[in-house]
Amino acid sequence: MRIAAKLPTGALEAPGGGIDEVDLTPVRTYWQLVRTRFLHHRLAATAVVLMVVLVFASIFFPIIGGDAWYRTSLKFGEHDPVSLIAPMGYDNIGINIFYRLMKALQTSLIIGGVAVLIISIIGTAVGAVAGYVGGAVDNFLMRVVDVVLSLPTFFLVIMFVAFLGSGNVFVIIFAIGLTGWTTAARLVRAEFLRLREAEFVQAAKALGASDRRIAIRHMIPGAMAPVVVAATLGIADAVVTEAALSFLGFGLLPPEASLGNMLTHAQDYFYRQPLWIYYPGITLILVVIAASFIGDGVRDALDPRQRVEN
Amino acid sequence: MATYILRRVIQAIPIVVGISVLTFLIVYLTPGSPVDRFRSPRVSAEAIAALIRSYGLDQPLPIQFFKWFTKFWSFPWDPNAWGFSFVDGKPVRDTIIARIPATLELTGMALLLTVVLAIPIGVLQAVKQYSWWDKIITILETIGYAMPTFWLGLILKQLFSIQFNMFPLFGMHTIGKTDLPDLLWHLALPVATLTVVSTAGWSRYMRASMLEVLRADFIRTAKSKGLGARQVIFKHALRNALIPIVTLLGLTIPTLLSGAAITEAVFSWPGLGGLGVDAVRDRDYPVVLATVMIGGVFVIIGNLLADIAYGYVDPRIKY
Repeated sequence: MRIAAKLPTGALEAPGGGIDEVDLTPVRTYWQLVRTRFLHHRLAATAVVLMVVLVFASIFFPIIGGDAWYRTSLKFGEHDPVSLIAPMGYDNIGINIFYRLMKALQTSLIIGGVAVLIISIIGTAVGAVAGYVGGAVDNFLMRVVDVVLSLPTFFLVIMFVAFLGSGNVFVIIFAIGLTGWTTAARLVRAEFLRLREAEFVQAAKALGASDRRIAIRHMIPGAMAPVVVAATLGIADAVVTEAALSFLGFGLLPPEASLGNMLTHAQDYFYRQPLWIYYPGITLILVVIAASFIGDGVRDALDPRQRVEN
Repeated sequence: MATYILRRVIQAIPIVVGISVLTFLIVYLTPGSPVDRFRSPRVSAEAIAALIRSYGLDQPLPIQFFKWFTKFWSFPWDPNAWGFSFVDGKPVRDTIIARIPATLELTGMALLLTVVLAIPIGVLQAVKQYSWWDKIITILETIGYAMPTFWLGLILKQLFSIQFNMFPLFGMHTIGKTDLPDLLWHLALPVATLTVVSTAGWSRYMRASMLEVLRADFIRTAKSKGLGARQVIFKHALRNALIPIVTLLGLTIPTLLSGAAITEAVFSWPGLGGLGVDAVRDRDYPVVLATVMIGGVFVIIGNLLADIAYGYVDPRIKY
């Protein structure tokens, strides 16, 4: 597909040698088209800016803040006015809420990102094997997918986390990853069933490439588009799942910072400090909205049926 | 139709077995043992060994699984079928049955309100596509869809219980009262939480479905025949646009029982979801196993009902 797109259309000469018609449309590669389509999606482009700001803030502020996200203080408290150093004030034990929020955002984004990576890897592997090998293996793997899909996902995550150790980042990531791969597996399997009969795969087979090489080098790149879309949309789910876990007390526990456990803490200060619920909540919503719009944009951009106007 | 249902039920059996094996393995292979709670210097090693024997934990895992699995399905007549809670020692079956009404009141009410609100909103948006109404509602839907239920629950509690003191903070009844107005008063906030989030999703779905139907040829035919807008929208378009909603309804059935765990936790609602979460926290394995099994079985039933209903409302589908 890429090579065909790179060839100038004018180079395909009409029979008889003479050039019949010259196509002057600028030649663009597949990825250039994808980028153009993505940027045409205004909401998605805005969401990328939002996501970049969030990611940048979650890296930058914890660095310049140092230990501010867990350092308590006897000098400052919840009734101190907000300032440039503490734009959201201090909490009841003198922790700078803004820096804590940024640290929590960082944790959420890392957990969301890594969990989605695990989901994509497991899903791609299972889907590729099922789609490539087919037969009884396919049947068995798809029944496993059915079983995992039938189980109440959030409950399964809670079980994993509670039984293997609450408060452990790795357990949380593992739990979210291990329960969420089914969609990716189904998508990759469907792509593999389609690609298995494609000419370039047949060609690779005829040239004597091994099964592993065909699956990894030739088919997986072609099957990634729906996985990328599902992964982008999945970041939102993973971040919310982590927040819900921490909110219920199964996820990260203080002194670790998480958007969920900040909400649990804020809940105790309902009467005096209602704003404390809004800070982590709105941050969470921004992450979810950014991830879903980017996902929508990527889906539309990767869909070759969408036209691009010049 | 009967053969189709029979085939689906037979296909579901291996999945049910798979669900039970997986749940059983997760529960029994994780570190820690149910008898750990009894270990202390005052409890002798013999007593612990006797406990392990009486719980049947000394037997090989496959035998334990087989015993649990065969006993599980005798629940219609055997109150002990799902074992006894490690926490209060009561039969799990009765504990769960006692919790069902509370959950159904909450989720059923929310589902009813969602359907009643989401369908007209979606239709309005589709008919007036790209109007100001459509745009404003789309923005609200996006925010509603992005809002985690537990956060929305907190916000509603903060606003309506604390700020305006209109509704109770949590619970199902005022102490000493069990009448309907009191129940509805307690239901308002949790139902609102669930309804807002699911209406946001459902109305987007309804809008998309309606838009697709409105572009169909038979709608153009109906319009060119000179039918009024009202008749085209409600008699021709809406009935077809509702078909995917029926499927969605079937897929929502399992969440009627298990989907509200977080909302129940926020509002301390004494339902099934909260029971499951508490059981996980206390490592009350029999309750955990039963809750997950019920959840899984209802997902399968919901999928089956969705497919059957789909064939029923869409005469083009034949089984």
